Amino acid sequence: MNTPADLISSDLERDTKKSHSDEFAVEINDVTVAYRAYIRRPTSLKETIISTLKGKKEPTFSSFDALSQVSMKIAKGSVFALIGSNGCGKSTLLKVIAGVLKPTKGCVKLSGDIASLIELGAGFDPDLTAIENIYLNGSLHKKTRAEMQGRIQHILDFSELHEFAFTPIKYYSSGMYARLAFSVAVDVNPKILLVDEILGVGDERFQEKCKKVFDELINKGKTIVLVTHNMDYIMEKANQVALLKKGKLVYFGEPKRAAEIYRSSDYSA
Amino acid sequence: MQSAIKQLLIFSNFFYQVYSYREYLIQSVSRDLRKKYKRSALGYLWTMLHPLGMMLIITTVLSNLMGVSFKDYAIFFLVGLLAWNYFSSTALMSLHAIRTNSRLFSQIAIPKYIFIVSLVCSNFVNYLLAIIPLFVVMLIAGHAIPWTVILFPIVFIPLLFVTTGISLILSVSNVFYEDTLHLSEVALQALYFLSPILYSREKLPADLISWLVLNPLFCQVEFMRLIFFEGIVPDLMSFSLNLLGSLFILFCGLYIFSKSEDKFMYHL
Repeated sequence: MNTPADLISSDLERDTKKSHSDEFAVEINDVTVAYRAYIRRPTSLKETIISTLKGKKEPTFSSFDALSQVSMKIAKGSVFALIGSNGCGKSTLLKVIAGVLKPTKGCVKLSGDIASLIELGAGFDPDLTAIENIYLNGSLHKKTRAEMQGRIQHILDFSELHEFAFTPIKYYSSGMYARLAFSVAVDVNPKILLVDEILGVGDERFQEKCKKVFDELINKGKTIVLVTHNMDYIMEKANQVALLKKGKLVYFGEPKRAAEIYRSSDYSA
Repeated sequence: MQSAIKQLLIFSNFFYQVYSYREYLIQSVSRDLRKKYKRSALGYLWTMLHPLGMMLIITTVLSNLMGVSFKDYAIFFLVGLLAWNYFSSTALMSLHAIRTNSRLFSQIAIPKYIFIVSLVCSNFVNYLLAIIPLFVVMLIAGHAIPWTVILFPIVFIPLLFVTTGISLILSVSNVFYEDTLHLSEVALQALYFLSPILYSREKLPADLISWLVLNPLFCQVEFMRLIFFEGIVPDLMSFSLNLLGSLFILFCGLYIFSKSEDKFMYHL
């Protein structure tokens, strides 16, 4: 029986030979994200001083590794999928790649700029209108008002939200919200697009649009890192798949094999 | 040596990032101002009531004690109070800045000190708006407005650096220690009396003054009063020293902030 280590190394060798270029879009090196749940830790300066005066007792904590020594290389111009059961660390890994969460150990190297759809409507203010939110989102990505002004029409066209452009987005349905968030993120025209479970949100038409956009991005040589439970899409489109289990990388390589292992009883054990 | 260069890079990167995110800062400051003044002149007057009210009360009670005429003391106090208010309101608002924006930086990678810089900027606009009633009071009191007030942008810079540095430290502290707010309120009360807002330097014994100048706000208040009240150009030597000291405080604040900011996500 092949051990997971064998699986990873043999498939990796195969995949690196297949990659489009020598450089990788994303390099994840030995990343660990360790959360500490303290049983008894001072949360105020007063308590800290008191406990120091009383003589140092090591605060007891339980360590929870959201990610543990994860390493992988994501090729440029590919669709890369992260799969695993809930709580295995997929979203955490995506956050580490996005630069939002700094790993406890290890590092991530990127070869281009990133747009992320980790949670829909990142940086959106519900009280503001769609147009105001487009400007806000642009400013969070260091774009000036002048730069964004030319893009607004295009974003509204793509999201088909012209009639609601001046409505505060708190009145939007979740589908409208998703369309706006997606249009804004894609408009940034990033080298690397991070997507967290968006294929499950929104109606069929929206999902078709997403898939079309992904195809266009791939043709332009962009990289898409996808967290999804949609196995059909992965089988159809993904170049490489990483399977995580409880923060550890269990398999890296072919989509079919990854899905097999994911569904096997070994994985859920 | 390597880490010193690294720190210097972080320091210069700070100014570059502030420039890069200028659009966000403009939008954020506009939002704050609209909220505060609620798009009406009455909102503006309402906000000005506080310093003007304080001025009247303090002057009524203390001008005799200080042996100064009512009109003179009123302006003397108001100038110092406005500088102090800038510092203390920025510092207090910074305490909440990280938590309030936690949703934002947990989704988009953004240097977290931008939120404190936003507060520093919007309070600066409040400061500018408060100078208008100051000028009105001066004219009513028959106290000519000295030409040295145009030096305000220059004299403001060390106050800006000190405020930013201390606000950065306080914002970090509040993420890890919940009682920072309580302690800050106490510390600010103390600093208020340790700064020459109610009194001038001459009224105190010399040995006490040598300790008080360690208060980073001490000289800022004095320099502001020099240009607004006395109408004297600050001495270049002492102002340069002050500027250097304020840069040091900004540097300390950035150092502490950059060391801690990666841990925020683990605590929120």
